[in-house]
Amino acid sequence: MNFQEIAKRFETGPLTESKDFLMKGVAAQAMKLSKEYEIAWDGKTRVNLDDGMADRCFQAGRELFIQTGLYGMNTNRVVRFSETEVDEALRAVRSEVHMGAGKDRVTIHHRQVEDPRKPFTFCGPFNANVHEDMFVRLNEAFSRERIVDCLFFPGYLNEVDGQLIRPNSALATRMAILYGQWSREAVRRAGRPDMPIAGHAVMAPGEIACTNEAWGLRSTDPRAIVLISELQIDDVSLTRLAYYLAYGCPIYMAFTPLVGGYGGNVAGTAVTAVASFIASIMLGGEVVHIGPQHMKYKQQTNEHSLFLSSLANQAVARNSKIIATTSHTTSGRPGSAQYAYEFSALALASVTSGSNVSGPRPAEPLGNNNVSPLMGKLFSEVAHAAADMTREAATPIVEALYDKYKDHLDLENAPKGQPFEELYDLRTLEPTAEHQALYDQVKGELINLGVPLG
Amino acid sequence: MADAERIYEAMRKSIETYDSDAAVAAAEEAVAAGLDLLEAVEKGFANPIRELGEAFDRMEVFLPELTLGADAMKAGVAVLEKALNEQGGKIETKATVVVGTVEGDIHDIGKSVVATMLQANGYEVHDLGVEVPATRIIEAAESHNANVIAMSALLSTTMLYQRDVIELLTNKGIRDKYYVLVGGAPVTQAWADEIGADGFAHDAFEAVQLLDGVMGGQGS
Repeated sequence: MNFQEIAKRFETGPLTESKDFLMKGVAAQAMKLSKEYEIAWDGKTRVNLDDGMADRCFQAGRELFIQTGLYGMNTNRVVRFSETEVDEALRAVRSEVHMGAGKDRVTIHHRQVEDPRKPFTFCGPFNANVHEDMFVRLNEAFSRERIVDCLFFPGYLNEVDGQLIRPNSALATRMAILYGQWSREAVRRAGRPDMPIAGHAVMAPGEIACTNEAWGLRSTDPRAIVLISELQIDDVSLTRLAYYLAYGCPIYMAFTPLVGGYGGNVAGTAVTAVASFIASIMLGGEVVHIGPQHMKYKQQTNEHSLFLSSLANQAVARNSKIIATTSHTTSGRPGSAQYAYEFSALALASVTSGSNVSGPRPAEPLGNNNVSPLMGKLFSEVAHAAADMTREAATPIVEALYDKYKDHLDLENAPKGQPFEELYDLRTLEPTAEHQALYDQVKGELINLGVPLG
Repeated sequence: MADAERIYEAMRKSIETYDSDAAVAAAEEAVAAGLDLLEAVEKGFANPIRELGEAFDRMEVFLPELTLGADAMKAGVAVLEKALNEQGGKIETKATVVVGTVEGDIHDIGKSVVATMLQANGYEVHDLGVEVPATRIIEAAESHNANVIAMSALLSTTMLYQRDVIELLTNKGIRDKYYVLVGGAPVTQAWADEIGADGFAHDAFEAVQLLDGVMGGQGS
């Protein structure tokens, strides 16, 4: 379906109050459908092994989307799609997408459950606040890691020239331009000038300004659009989407199903997640990012999110060609072992369930530059290793890792970690000996647990 | 007295079953039976909605149930409040709060949960919605004679508008009239300190605890 038709529906769909859409639509239907389709969590499974439930979850999510549609947050209109339109869109989905150019061109694929192909890795600061002084160096360090396929969300520049940035301001547009320039400079310095950069500079129309074939983000770079939980989108995102579609960028559509939110329990949230996957492709999404978020924990490696990620990804992997990727948001922060335990647990669950990977990042970074390219490398290595594993083999390792961090999920008390400038020697752009030792230690632990990282 | 207990039980049940119609019916019965309406508010609605809020905090129930339970409470309390007003009385609240997500930010869920939990815990709450400009937040606080301004921001860029509200309050010479509470994913105690907010809460439960600690007796 072309975007013009969708944009028209955002102007002409039935006027509905937000609360009615969320409560009478999403919440009521997700609860009803999860019961009808017998989708449930047993309270202990970390990685779903029930293919039948994954298939039922897909059917329930498809039905939910057809019943409820999408909500335009500014126009207060509901956009609905017919069964035929949804099924046609699912049939037409591209199962592979190219990004980057020249020698740095890479391809992301739809993955099956337990697919032996290596997952595509989106890796970078992932929207952590990055200070302008460190922006290029830090992103260069991520780009130097050859295992990373795409530099991912190079960081929020919330301050330029000492001035804090408001969205929708002239400074936000200037910031977006610098974001484009500096991101490109970072991959150039790393010797990967045409490496794809997944961009998400700011949630404002001025974000478009980082697009420039010579010095910024290009038509070969995926651009992110984020749905609001659940099944909602605002005019700013639609405006950016209109531009990126016309410009020819691969569309990286992201959503964060919220356990405990309008989807209700884990089962209902898994149904809303599948509906959101479908909503994403209806809007033109080519890579669809699920962030299995949690109302209480405010991160994505808790027991509910692990199961949600595995079930929703399997539902989509088994029943469509959608290219899925899962974000990895942790309680522990870079510089701590817990950070690695957490992203490893979720990567094992999501990759064996048919997903590619995006991340990692701490849910609550402490100040600027709270990121680690070396941990990004380990994350990518674990994701690749998971492609050699079955869900059954991954399960006990996920359980063992979860046991290591389950009592430290509280963001306030989770390990604080360190900023990039303390984890790296800025002169050589190499990890400090201490940070390298942490990498070696955790990697050894993962190997001992059975992750084939050798 | 047995009648009162039966009616309180019906009110409690209406919250537990998220049934606004039942809440209204039980409240009307309380009025007709001539019960102590303030006691009816407390025993029939306030206690069970607080329990529901605690269950939500433990993730034993979820946002839809919390919202429906709060809707039932509001419907029932509205009936009791109307009758009480006609008798020349009124429901005491701990404080009056205006709450909203700041300009440029469309995130609603966290702010709505804070509004619901405060209401469930005896605060008069005016939910201004999302993308609320600084001037509108202050106008609402003034017109509702609020004690508390609570602001949510889910983006590191929109946090700046929390600062703007405080700056505008100061410029207008009315900063000291309000307890300013800030929250949202990127918001920290350090940010609250930097912009001169009075309080910071990680979540709705903490917001209630914080305000209970500082607002005792300032309501109406």
